[in-house]
Amino acid sequence: MASQMMTSSAAVKKKRNWNLYMWGTLFVLPEIIVSILFLWIPIIKGVLFSFQEVDFVKGNVYVGLRNYIDITSSSDFYIAIKNTLYYMGLCVVIGFWVPAAVAIAVSELRRFQGLARVAGYMPSIIPAIVLYGMWVWFYDPIGPINAFLTGIGLPAADFFTKGMSMISIVIMETWQNFGGAVLIYLASVVGIPKDLYEAAEIDGASVWQRIKFITLPHIRSLLLLMFLLQIINTSQSFQAQLAMTGGGPDNATLTYMLLMNRHAFTYLNFGRATAMGTMMFVVMMVLSFFYLKMQKRSEL
Amino acid sequence: MKNTERSILSSFDFKRWQVKLGYSVMVLIITLIIVSMLYPFLNTFLSSLKTTGEFFAFPAPFFPKDWLWHNYIEAWHVIPMLMFLKNTLMIFIGTVTFALVFIGMAAFALSHMRVPFKKMVVLFFLSTLMIPSATYLIPNFLNLQSLGLLNSYWAFWLPAGANAFYLLLMKNFFDGLHKELFEAARIDGAGEFLCFFRIAIPLSVPILMTLVIFYFSSTWNEFYWSSLVMLEKDMYPLATGIFRYVVYSGSTIQWNVKFAVLSMTMVPPLVFFLIFQRYIIGGLNVAGVKG
Repeated sequence: MASQMMTSSAAVKKKRNWNLYMWGTLFVLPEIIVSILFLWIPIIKGVLFSFQEVDFVKGNVYVGLRNYIDITSSSDFYIAIKNTLYYMGLCVVIGFWVPAAVAIAVSELRRFQGLARVAGYMPSIIPAIVLYGMWVWFYDPIGPINAFLTGIGLPAADFFTKGMSMISIVIMETWQNFGGAVLIYLASVVGIPKDLYEAAEIDGASVWQRIKFITLPHIRSLLLLMFLLQIINTSQSFQAQLAMTGGGPDNATLTYMLLMNRHAFTYLNFGRATAMGTMMFVVMMVLSFFYLKMQKRSEL
Repeated sequence: MKNTERSILSSFDFKRWQVKLGYSVMVLIITLIIVSMLYPFLNTFLSSLKTTGEFFAFPAPFFPKDWLWHNYIEAWHVIPMLMFLKNTLMIFIGTVTFALVFIGMAAFALSHMRVPFKKMVVLFFLSTLMIPSATYLIPNFLNLQSLGLLNSYWAFWLPAGANAFYLLLMKNFFDGLHKELFEAARIDGAGEFLCFFRIAIPLSVPILMTLVIFYFSSTWNEFYWSSLVMLEKDMYPLATGIFRYVVYSGSTIQWNVKFAVLSMTMVPPLVFFLIFQRYIIGGLNVAGVKG
């Protein structure tokens, strides 16, 4: 070792440097290659293709903003945006508060907490397509839900009309997804120090006040994060709509991403589809930027 | 022990009738939720054993009169279940292997080895976190097409590792392992591969399990992407097969047989879930604390 040091020249030093870094580089390299090939290239290509007319036979042609103009001048585009916003809103109104409330309630259970957790998480492990198949039947005019409704003397409902279909899908998805969110909230609710409740109770705080002034503030940042994740997820949603209603009736469940996929794989216009993807991407970046700013401010 | 501990409510609260009433209502609601969670699965299973007449009877009987296991035999003939199942398993096994090797090695290097420009490399991976995959779904498809990977398992295996979120989870876990462990091993003459496979991997079983579970559920769930990437029926995984042949409005398969297919599809994930339940709950906590 010492003799090596004595004869160290620039070349040897370089070689030692390489030896130090060699294994690290070799370990990271496969992941870097894969990320470039299957993440970065598609992302960059997506932006490039949005300015091109994609043609597999004749090759791509640069067309400037034409894809964007074509997209924004079609009426489908605005229907899809309106539907997506409506869907996101419904998900917040119907779905967002449910897991948090259930998590607080479940944390109060003295027995069978495990059963509640597992039962709630059940739909998350069953493949979504199976659930869609099941629920199409449950929502059927002569399906179990209508049998139940008429059984207790209510009029039967049609769940896939123009006005109802989106609401039906949101109810189904709330049922499907809330178990996972409950577990995440639960971990945080259970972690709140119990002496806080003890102290509050001694000071005469009612149960409701304890939830309002201790539990909720503790899960506030988690609520914000889950809210953002939900906004991101629901804005991308199309699979339930595709499998259950196919975007109908009369485009009532045509979401933005469903329209994008239609442009790509039904109309085979990949340029327009990537233009829609790029627009969505920009909106998402702006949203994340605001979230980061909000988070910074709340930390101060 | 734990049951005697207080949470929001204390044992004193239960002496008041309002609290008792509220608590009973709450328990009732949770019970209803649990029932509504389990009922659809039970209904699907029982319906799959009914005759078509019973299935469409209004209101339908809860239990079938005769348990028609014949529907299940028919289900096997209606769609090539075994082939779809084989494809799903092939995709899952390859995906997990490639992803865990690539992600694991990179995460280990980033947290315990010398990597040139480490900060830049980490940033390179993390900057893709913010971009939802649906926005580049179509260029991703075109990219696979130009690489000639369509209609092969490689289209799932190779990109499996390209996931910054899982890389971050893994790196966070490795960061928690003590550096001294690896230093001691290196002094004793262990190479980096030995450090990784004999020390890091055995210590990180929980996080590996979590990732296996994530990949399992995404492989079982994914039906749309695979329906694009796999061009031939022979290559469809189960979920895509069901999407294409069972759950679409023009499907001519009888409902009771359809439900037999759906019931059978539910079994493997359920078994998987029961076996790995412990890790699933733990994994969600890992995923949940990232905020």
